[in-house]
This record gives sequence, structure tokens and C-alpha cells, in this order.
Amino acid sequence: MLTFVKMIFRFGPLLFGIGFLAPLSAQVISTTNWTPPLGVSPLTIGLVFGGMYGLLAQIRGRWV
Amino acid sequence: MSARDFSQMSNTELLRAEREIARQHLDRFPWFSVAWAFVNFGTWLVLWPLVFFTGFPLWAAFLIATLNISLSYLPSHEAQHDIIARPGSRLRWLNELVGHMSIIPMVLPFRAARLTHLEHHKNCNHDELDPDVSTRARGPLHAVWRSIQNRQPRADAAYNAYAACLQRIGRTDVILDSVIYQIVFYTILIALAWSGYAIEAALIWWLPRHIALTYIQYYLSWAPHHPGDMTERYGNTRSFRAILGNIGSMGMQYHIVHHLHPRIPLMRTGPAYWDMKPILEARGCDVKDL
Repeated sequence: MLTFVKMIFRFGPLLFGIGFLAPLSAQVISTTNWTPPLGVSPLTIGLVFGGMYGLLAQIRGRWV
Repeated sequence: MSARDFSQMSNTELLRAEREIARQHLDRFPWFSVAWAFVNFGTWLVLWPLVFFTGFPLWAAFLIATLNISLSYLPSHEAQHDIIARPGSRLRWLNELVGHMSIIPMVLPFRAARLTHLEHHKNCNHDELDPDVSTRARGPLHAVWRSIQNRQPRADAAYNAYAACLQRIGRTDVILDSVIYQIVFYTILIALAWSGYAIEAALIWWLPRHIALTYIQYYLSWAPHHPGDMTERYGNTRSFRAILGNIGSMGMQYHIVHHLHPRIPLMRTGPAYWDMKPILEARGCDVKDL
């Protein structure tokens, strides 16, 4: 259990990027009625953005 | 008595006069802070069903939530100092309830807040021992930037400094409170986000919390202790004139009184300050701005 909790905190930025920023970005895209090119879904864009930004924060240790 | 008269007094006489003034403002039940805690927390809670089920505008909910979370710390702060009710007294449950409840939107557990805050009082401005020393900054904009930087994942300040402080004082058990709070907070955010309420979660909790933490750290931590280079009782805190006024700075213009006499309720620190000011001047405190 403790190992699992430590793992969650260790990968916090990445998990936050995928778990929160991804659906948030997707819903912002949908709300603004923007249609992503090449038939890509808003959630795919969200997952790419959230995942990349989360990974970057994970590596750098900071979001800004 | 004039400031000149106080300047003639010995330290012992000054302390006696200071305590006499403090006594006049102590032991008053902080009705306003208790009502504030319930109304503020209740309003923030009501925002959720309002937005989800009634079409209440999200932009308005965002503004109200930001105000709510910004106002959530001070009632708990009163409880941290046992101002609502002391241990063993009849209303002790109320003190603890307000302490725990009001800072839930900040995702700050009461036991951790209380223990680290008392360490801040004991070791104010100390480079290693004050858990809030990381808010020290060159000026207002730098203070805002420091607050944001201190909240980054691998920063060794803010909540991370609190964990180190709890470890130092041998209360690692309280770190578990913070771990549980963080897990519950992020689980709720993620669950809401994947249920189609990401924007609502972001604008009622996540973003308002970040804005509120910056605002709280600016007025409760940076401004009253700036420049933060003295650890002495009469030098570690100052009075200041806030651009947003006394209400806009949540009464922190008079924070020096709180550090000298932490059990004076927030609403009495202003009157106590004006009564005490000649003594503070005689002590050489930084009270020139107000």
C-alpha cells in the first residue's frame, strides 16, 4: 500500500497531466466549438497536451 | 500616555504596559470568525449543486469560489491558536470543527496547519526552522512569483516544507493527514474531469485554490514579515499599509499584534494595535507605515 502511495506521489505531475489536464483540455476544445484538424478527437488532443505537459513537469520538477 | 513617556520606560515596564493592553482585547468570543467559517464553507459547498443542476453561471461561481477559498484560512487560524475555545472548555468541539472545516477547500489538514503555524511563531524568520520562510521575497511581484514557485512539484518550500517541519518536530503521523487530503483532492478532480465536469472542477476548486494560496501567502506571510531578516520578538513582524486596505488584506496590516499576542482575536488586533502603538514605537518596531 505504502509503495503504491509513494508511486502515485512520485509520478504526480504525469498522472495530473493525463488524469486532469487531458479531459480539461478536451472539454475546453469542445466548449469553444473548435474542430481539430484531420478528424482528431478533442480527447486525443487533450491526452497529447496533458501527457506531454505532465511529462515535462515530471522531468523538470515544475510546471512553470 | 505619550510615546515620549513610553520611551523613558524600562523593558520590564514596557512589557507590563503591553500585557495590560493585550489583556483588554483577550478572551472575547470571536463570533464573527465562527459565523464567517460556516457561511464561507457553506457557500463554497453550495456552488457545486448550483452549477451542476441549476445553470448558475460558471464565471460567477469561479469568482465566488476564489473569494471563498481566499477567506477560508483565517477562521481556522483562530482555531489554531485556541481563540474560539481552549482545550478542556465547553466549546472546544467548536474550535476544532472550525479549524478542520474551514480549510478543507485549501486542501490543508488542520493538524498540519496548526503544528507548522505554531513552529512559524516560535521560529519566525529563522532560515532553517520557520516553515514559512520560503515566502521571503524582494518585493510584491517577487512574492507572488515565489509563492507560485514554492508550489511546484519538486520545490522544497510551502507544503513540502511543512512535511519537513513535521518530521523535525517528531510528528510524522500528521504527514499522513496531508497525504490523505492530497489523494482525496486529486481523486475528486480526476473523477469529475472524466465525468465531463473538468471545467467546473477547474473553476470551482483547482484554479481558485491556486489564486487563494498566492493571495493568502502574500498577505499573511510575506507582507507582515517583509523583509524577514530579523528573528527578534519586536523585529520579526511589522505593520504595513495595504493597497487593498484592511479588509482587502484580511486584517493583516496589524499582524504584528498577532505575533506579540497570538490569542487576541483577529477582529481585535486593529484596536489593540492602536492602543499599543506607542509601546511598539518605543520598542523600535517597524510601525512607520501605519
